[in-house]
Parts: sequence; C-alpha cells; structure tokens
Amino acid sequence: MEMIKAENLSYEYIKVIETEKGTKQEKILALNHVNLTIEKGSFVAVLGHNGSGKSTFAKHINALVRPTEGVLWVNGYDTQKEELLWDVRQSAGMVFQNPDNQLVATVVEEDIAFGPENMGVPSEEIRKRVDESLSAVGMLEYKEHTPSKLSGGQKQRIAIAGVLAMKPECIVFDEPTAMLDPVGRKDVMDTILRLNREEGMTIVLITHYMDEAVRAEKVFVIDDGNMVLEGTPKEVFPQVETLKSYGLDVPQVTETAYELKKMGIPIAEDILTIEEMVGAICQLKSTI
Amino acid sequence: MSIKINHLTHVYNPDTIFEKIALHDINIEIEKGEFVGLIGHTGSGKSTLIQHLNGTISPTAGEIILDGENIHKDKAKLKEVRQRIGLAFQYPEHQLFEMTVYKDVAFGPTNMKLSAEEIDKRVKEALQMVGLSESVYEKSPFELSGGQKRRVAIAGVLAMNPEVLILDEPTAGLDPKGRDEILYAIQQLHKERGITIILVSHSMEDVAKLVDRLIVMEKGKVAMMGTPKEVFAHVKELEKIGLAAPQISYVLTALREKGYILPEDIYTVGEAVKALYTLLKGEAKYDS
Repeated sequence: MEMIKAENLSYEYIKVIETEKGTKQEKILALNHVNLTIEKGSFVAVLGHNGSGKSTFAKHINALVRPTEGVLWVNGYDTQKEELLWDVRQSAGMVFQNPDNQLVATVVEEDIAFGPENMGVPSEEIRKRVDESLSAVGMLEYKEHTPSKLSGGQKQRIAIAGVLAMKPECIVFDEPTAMLDPVGRKDVMDTILRLNREEGMTIVLITHYMDEAVRAEKVFVIDDGNMVLEGTPKEVFPQVETLKSYGLDVPQVTETAYELKKMGIPIAEDILTIEEMVGAICQLKSTI
Repeated sequence: MSIKINHLTHVYNPDTIFEKIALHDINIEIEKGEFVGLIGHTGSGKSTLIQHLNGTISPTAGEIILDGENIHKDKAKLKEVRQRIGLAFQYPEHQLFEMTVYKDVAFGPTNMKLSAEEIDKRVKEALQMVGLSESVYEKSPFELSGGQKRRVAIAGVLAMNPEVLILDEPTAGLDPKGRDEILYAIQQLHKERGITIILVSHSMEDVAKLVDRLIVMEKGKVAMMGTPKEVFAHVKELEKIGLAAPQISYVLTALREKGYILPEDIYTVGEAVKALYTLLKGEAKYDS
C-alpha cells in the first residue's frame, strides 16, 4: 500500500525580491516533475542541499502547498482537492526544525491536547491520547512541566507527541535535529525509529545528517527540484563523488572505504556503519 | 592580545529560588593567534562563558584579564573591549536588518564614527574575507542563501576589526555546503589575518579538523582541555557528558580493542585512510 505517491509533481512560484531600486519578480521551479512512491510503514530519508526543493516537497505532503502540475496523493487523497484537506492533514503530520515555533501552550499536556481538541475529539479520549503520545516519546513524567523550561531535544519530543495525538499514519520530519546537541539528536532519532518499528508509522525524514539517513530503508536525493538519486542507503551512499557534487556529505566510514578502494584495497563500498567497517577490516586482515 | 580567565564564577538569579550556578571557578588562558574550540552539551555553560569574554555579562566572582587589564575595572572601556573582541551570536543572520548587504556590514563601523573612506575599506575587506564578491553588495541580505546570510552577519562583526572573533555555533542549521563555506572562511581568517578564534560547536568532526586546542565544558566547569588528539583519546569520558568523538575514531578504537596495532590519535578521514592502508598493506607500501 502506498502512503505517498507523486506523479509528475511540479511546483512553480513567483519570487518577489525587494531591492532599493524597487521590486523584481523571478519564476522559480522548486520541484520539477518528481515521481516517487513511499510505502505505508516505511522509513525514508530525503536529502538535498538548502534550496534544493526538499522542504517544498515536505510541505506538499501536508498540503501546505499544492502542485502547480502533476498530482500528489497522500494516503490515497489527492492534495489538490480542497474538500480533502483535513483528510490529508489527518493522515500526515509534520514536525519542523525549530521546536520553539511549534509549541503553543504553557503546560506540556495542554500543548499535546491542542491538536485533538481542535479536531473535536471527546475529552476522555483526549486524556487517553495525551498520555499515550507522551509515553510514546518518553516524556510522560514531564506532563505538568512548562515547555519553555525543557531542553531542545525534550521540546522536540513534545512537538512529536503533539502530532502523535492526532493519530496520523505518517509523520514528515523537516530537519528535526538541526538545532539540537548530540544528546537531543540521539533522543529524537531513537524516538523516530521506535515509532517506525514499533508503531508501524510511515516516516519521511528530511535531514543533513548522513548518520541519520543511513538508518532509513530508502533514500531520495533532490537537487535543484529534480529527483536525482533513489535507492537503499547501500545503493546511494557508495556514490561518494556524485553525492558531494550535490553538496551532500557521506558518512566518514563510507568515505574511508571509498578512498581505500581507490587505493586498491578490495573493501566493500557499501559500508555505512562503524560495525560494518570494523567487520570489513577484520575480514580483510584475516584473508591477507 | 591574550585573554586570561581567572576563577570566573557566574550565578544566575542569586539568592532566589531560581539560583543557578552557570560557571564555577573557570581558569583558562587563550594566547594571541590561537584557534580554540569550545564544546559541551546545551546548558554546559559555553554561551555564558563567551558572553563574559566581551563584557556582555559581568562575573559574579573572578575576572577576565585582557592584555593585563581587568575588562570590568573601567566600565567606560567596555565599548572598546566589545570592538576588540567580536562576538557572532547563534543564528547571527537574525540580526540582519538593512536594505543592502553593504549597508548592513557598514552599520558597525559607521557607529564607530570612522571616516567614509575607512568604512568603505573595512566593508569591502570584511566581505572579501568571508568570500562574498562585489556582486552581492547591493543585494538585499534576505535574498541570499542561509550560508551567505550568515557570512554577511559575520562580515558585520569583522568590519569592526576585532582582534578576537568568537563564533557561537556558526554552522548550526546549515547544509553541508553552507557549513563548509563558513568553516573555510573562518580558517582563512585565522591563517591569513592571525585573528584569534574561539569556535563554539556541537560538531566534533568540524572542530577536529580546525582547532589547535579544545576546551570541553560540563556543568559549568572545564571538564577537559588539550589538543584535539588529547581530548578525543578520552572517548568514554566524552560520551559520559553527552558528547562524542568523530565517527571514524570509533572504528580505530574498536580495531585496537581487537588487538590490531593502530595509532590512537586518528579522527579525520584522511588520517584513517592512511592508517588502515598501512595496517592492511604493511609499512613497506605505505606512501604518504
């Protein structure tokens, strides 16, 4: 079953630039005939440099913007259709980069209740959902705390719980760890992985951190509005030079394996983790 | 100039129930022309410390000695201190406000009541130092990319001709390309101008490549201090305080634990490739 399907999806807009000499207009093609399918229950990562169009794509999934050409279906709903707007948004929730911009209430549990309240969920059900969502992100004990007193990683997990309380089938994360320190990043990533593995939630993760992207089942690379690479991390990351030409990083271990291979060492190119690298070196050492 | 931090302690909200010791008896000396990395997780006291260095906040106890003089001895001189020690805050692009890039960078020197000629010279130099060409002078800062905006903001600090430049997470939220541009500009400033740099960062990969010396903060104290090699040799301690060493150093550590003979101080891809090549091929064929 498909959670998200894009067919010839294009998005064009007119950018108005204010200068001292007046305003000028420029046509921008942010997405250029993108085709992709994301299966239900899968975990995919979307990569691309700033301005590549990846956030524009993410906003389409939530119908914050609509295609100027082509079609995007979310959970089978055509995002172009105004009357399906709430079905689309109910299906796919969104978590943004800056947690401070997403929290609305002065008490954590009220913040989580905000979404379901607006959906008209009965209060008994809301109470249940607040507790479930908070325990899903490991923040239940902070129920009565003030969001502003929490750390960045904790705030981001509250933002995730707020989305969970609306019971979406899919969550789109737009650089959720960009503003967090290493501990916060790890907590948020662990939460995302758990939601995917244990709750079967479809995850679309937009990130600049390659160590996060290697954990996805599938990786999409967008460059200047075009979908340029698609495949499993093992298929995509060995293309070190190509990825660098798109302004992206590769994990240090993958780059090291790539360099060793260039020097004539018969090492696998699709090494993505520390464990794989250690295993490969040990194996080579025992065969030499 | 040298900066000497003597027994610096800072307490927020003293004598109230919100009392919090942010810095506790810090002793650090920074030499002229040094490139220092300051790391530590959120809340470890990094930001409080750097705000002391240019007199934005005053110590509860202890002193900051700049070229032999306590910066708080004569409050009238604080303005001069702030000009000699430039501080680029987190997300400095939020502080851009002028209609053009040129005017924004000129704001600082204009306030210093310099001659029009001198202002022009400084603006052009500062923009050149961060790698921005004449073609952006008349552009609105808001039509630039994230990385470019941030470089404009840093140029604004540089135009005051500081002897020390403090950067608080200058690459946060940027994509790999934007990050590399900023780090390259900072490296050039240090190499060519001999400006003392204090870089606050969460990215161990970045600091490993750049700095002469690392200061690790934890709970308002200096937990470790030394060259990157010395500090990254303590992976376990770093992890305990919520930090990590660069990914590749974990591979080398794991291999050493398995009994392979490898150097202990490797934390960049280039060094790892050399060491692993030597391990696999033997010393004779090793060619650097």
